[in-house]
Amino acid sequence: MKEMLFGYLEKRFGIPASVFAEHEFYAASKGRVYIGPKKAISEPNVVSVGMLAARISRTVKPSTNLLQLFGRHATKNTIKLDRENTLKYVRGEDIEVETDATGGYVLLAYKGSPIGCGFLEKGSVKNLLPKAKRAQLKFL
Amino acid sequence: MISMSDEIPKVFKERYAGLVDDEEAFLACLNTLQPRGFRVNTLKASPAMIKERFSDYGISLQEVPWYKDAFISDEPDVGATFEHFTGEIYMQELASMLPPIAVQKELEKAKYVLDGCAAPGSKTTQMAAMMENKGLIVANDSSYSRIRALKFNQEKTGAINTVITNKDLRNFPKMQFDIVVLDVPCSSEGTIRKSYGVFSLWSEKHIKTISDLQKQLITKGFDLVAPGGTLIYSTCTFAPEENEAVVHHLLQERPAKMEKIDIPHLKISPPVDEWKNDVFSPEVKNAARIWPHHNNTGGFFLAKVGK
Repeated sequence: MKEMLFGYLEKRFGIPASVFAEHEFYAASKGRVYIGPKKAISEPNVVSVGMLAARISRTVKPSTNLLQLFGRHATKNTIKLDRENTLKYVRGEDIEVETDATGGYVLLAYKGSPIGCGFLEKGSVKNLLPKAKRAQLKFL
Repeated sequence: MISMSDEIPKVFKERYAGLVDDEEAFLACLNTLQPRGFRVNTLKASPAMIKERFSDYGISLQEVPWYKDAFISDEPDVGATFEHFTGEIYMQELASMLPPIAVQKELEKAKYVLDGCAAPGSKTTQMAAMMENKGLIVANDSSYSRIRALKFNQEKTGAINTVITNKDLRNFPKMQFDIVVLDVPCSSEGTIRKSYGVFSLWSEKHIKTISDLQKQLITKGFDLVAPGGTLIYSTCTFAPEENEAVVHHLLQERPAKMEKIDIPHLKISPPVDEWKNDVFSPEVKNAARIWPHHNNTGGFFLAKVGK
């Protein structure tokens, strides 16, 4: 599971496994993988360990929070959004882009800050931002 | 025009008239709005980067003399900035940033940290940044409904060295932590500048009840500290029953050693040495009172205890 995730992040985004050296990955139900502390605890009454890193089934879907935190290490399949598209994406809308990224999950960034994960297909980026994160930005 | 101070109960004013250095300045300050503070999440951004971005927006920022990662802004919509969306900044009352600052040196080498009353996660996420996401923070809260906000903030800021637990701290199993942070439930008098709603629940009887709970929490918190470790106890209230009396209780019950709190450029006032019929242990004097009119913050109390 860990190897599959590392392999994917390296191959798809150029994020090397070495950036996760200080952390550990934990498998949960339904293919969910969490990234957390090297040494965790299992009691008392643990609600969660670290944060959701990805959902793994036949494909790997990295979480928005994972890409926001480690996206700075990405070297490929990153789409730099302009102001207008950032506004739209953060509102929860799909966007049209011109990019040489290949189809699949892409990292979206604005002003050098990673925003999260989208799904690129034929010049269109499907919005994958969790609803709870959607916002109307006034300053960007 | 009705002055807001008319809404401050007379009993409240009488309680603190003799404790505060300048009653007039104190009450006048309670009538002013608290500055809006935020903290730069150094897991994702730097103060210099945030300064530059906000300058591009035309939002003026004021630096906080005692904390390089914090800023104050008059802009009411800081929550609608791109940097808030990405978790590069975190909205937090200035005084509530103090407990992690008071143990910053210890945090930098700590492996196991417990945030005993963690929701909504301000201190947990601040400590994770100070620890550069290394080691382990157990972020515990007794209330499951409050854990939702804790979880959201923890993930948003990328504080991944964290395990969230949902347990009444008093029943926490025997474990040992290098640092235990206890920002306990309190009567919240120090948050008056944010909302006068505080007084709808305020009574001396409530203070007494919550003080009993705080005494149980501080003793348990101390028991969870490893030898050589540190406990930091804090409240956002002025009530000696919830501050000095609680620390005094711990000193009676356990071999606790008070440590002095020194935060450069922050005006710290000494605790009270007696209250009503109680005279506190002389060691209590190492605790710190933060009055709103001294640093233009909310009111706060901190005690640092070694084991």
